[in-house]
Amino acid sequence: MSKRSKIIFTTVVIAMALAGGLVFAQMRSGSYGSTNSTSIGQGATPVFALDAKYDVGPYPSFVPELAEGDGRQEVQSFCFTCHSTRYITMQPPLPGAIWEAEVNKMMKAYGAPIPEATAKKITAYLQEHYAPENRKEY
Amino acid sequence: MESIARKLSRRSTLKFLGAAGGGLALASWAQGTRSFAEASDGAKPLESFAGPGANPHWNSVGPYVTEPQKAPLILLTDRPVQLETPRHYFHTIFTPNEAFYVRWHLAEIPNSVDLAEWKLRVEGNVNKPMAFSLSDLMQKFKPASVAAVNQCSGNSRSRLQPRVPGGQWGNGAMGNAIWTGVRLRELLDAAGVKSGSAQVQVEGLDTGAGPKGMGSNRFLKSLDLTNAALDGTIVAYLMNGEPLPLLNGFPARLVVPGYFATYWTKSLSWIRVLETPDDNFWMKTAYRIPDTPRGTTTPEDMKTGKVKTIPIERMPVRSFLISPDGSSKIPAGLDVTLRGIAFSGYGKVNKVEISDDGGSTWKAAELGEDRGTYSFRGWQAAWTPKTPGRYSIAVRATDEKGNVQPDEPVWNPGGYLWNKIERQELVAGKAN
Repeated sequence: MSKRSKIIFTTVVIAMALAGGLVFAQMRSGSYGSTNSTSIGQGATPVFALDAKYDVGPYPSFVPELAEGDGRQEVQSFCFTCHSTRYITMQPPLPGAIWEAEVNKMMKAYGAPIPEATAKKITAYLQEHYAPENRKEY
Repeated sequence: MESIARKLSRRSTLKFLGAAGGGLALASWAQGTRSFAEASDGAKPLESFAGPGANPHWNSVGPYVTEPQKAPLILLTDRPVQLETPRHYFHTIFTPNEAFYVRWHLAEIPNSVDLAEWKLRVEGNVNKPMAFSLSDLMQKFKPASVAAVNQCSGNSRSRLQPRVPGGQWGNGAMGNAIWTGVRLRELLDAAGVKSGSAQVQVEGLDTGAGPKGMGSNRFLKSLDLTNAALDGTIVAYLMNGEPLPLLNGFPARLVVPGYFATYWTKSLSWIRVLETPDDNFWMKTAYRIPDTPRGTTTPEDMKTGKVKTIPIERMPVRSFLISPDGSSKIPAGLDVTLRGIAFSGYGKVNKVEISDDGGSTWKAAELGEDRGTYSFRGWQAAWTPKTPGRYSIAVRATDEKGNVQPDEPVWNPGGYLWNKIERQELVAGKAN
């Protein structure tokens, strides 16, 4: 191997290692993504007293992003009284009639004290953003 | 360093390397530049919702979250807490406590229980109302243990077509554990049930923000005192030999082997003997199924208002392929062991079969150890993808009462009782 080709070869090897991996015909290795959206932090072990209290602390909140639009404020204040708005974002896209029935169920079967005009607004919001024809990824 | 790496990974650099690197085939690497610096396919995030078609994934599509005393589980909702168990935890017959799914109904679920104050009360139509501390339960009664599957009534709700509102569970709203505690009948006997009593009602420590007298205020479930399921029912203070996580019902929960989890009240604190059948929301309106074969109906029939409903009770027979799970490609010709679980709320599972030809022919799987009538039963079967291709593996179980998993879907407005034959696509690639 000439001195020049030795330099080129060494440069190539170093460059490839820097580029993130050695690649031969039979494999590809050392590829790492630049972000890790799937990581979650570990919780620390609690310090316990010897009494009879068994306390796990607060349950975490994972507040979802709701679609922007008229009615969002009402959804956040009224629906949130009894449950997380994850109940909304968890649903599949549902037809307008089903959303209307859901809001009615919350009021009639579960007793949610929602004024009629507000209920209409909430229903319209859900129909406008969480139905098959308009549901978007957030 | 990072910026150098980024520069070097540019296409022009790769072309230079391709030209200079004699003996190294770099053309395919250069073509793969786009994906090179991005996450691998395996780490590509799932969509944030599934539908309006059926959820095609084994589990629901939510993110992983950590909650107190739990391993990372799949989030459905955070208030009240609903978490799904990821598929891989079903490799073992007993589901680890920290991975066991969670489903509460009312938002004010206990964060803390003071055992110096806490009592399990047996009251109502009894001769002598009782209040037991946890140490009373542990010491005054002979412990009884049972292996039993706890499955949410709405497990797999995201499979229904058309979709129905509710917790959009994949298949992971279930778990199997060895439950140890006191037999319910012994607690009832200690208090002395008065003659003419109808039902036993259970209530836990959870409450809701809704108005008094509504389903959003208290969660109450009841069973007939004559129900044979009560003979096997225990008040469990141990789950797989350990205290229950608070999210799974510490300090004690009801265990009704064979029955859906709606009756397995968590943080159980009141056992009430009722003179008349319970007509509260959670019995009269919620958790009801059409009184039809398999509890199935149609949206059109529901609209007529003539579909008679009854409270949901036992779990229909089900089986699942746990591995391989389709997340990896299998080289053709390689012998693979298909493994999974099966259970039924009607009796012991005594047959599991697999098919790789769309259900034309079925081959019996080998059953694992019998851990009890209402436990998961493990199964395995050897399988070899002889040639490269896309295979669909179907699994079906049969229980001792002769119930066989059907290939027809179920539909009811609550999204309950799903037990259609499960299928898993497996891809076999070329081996050379």
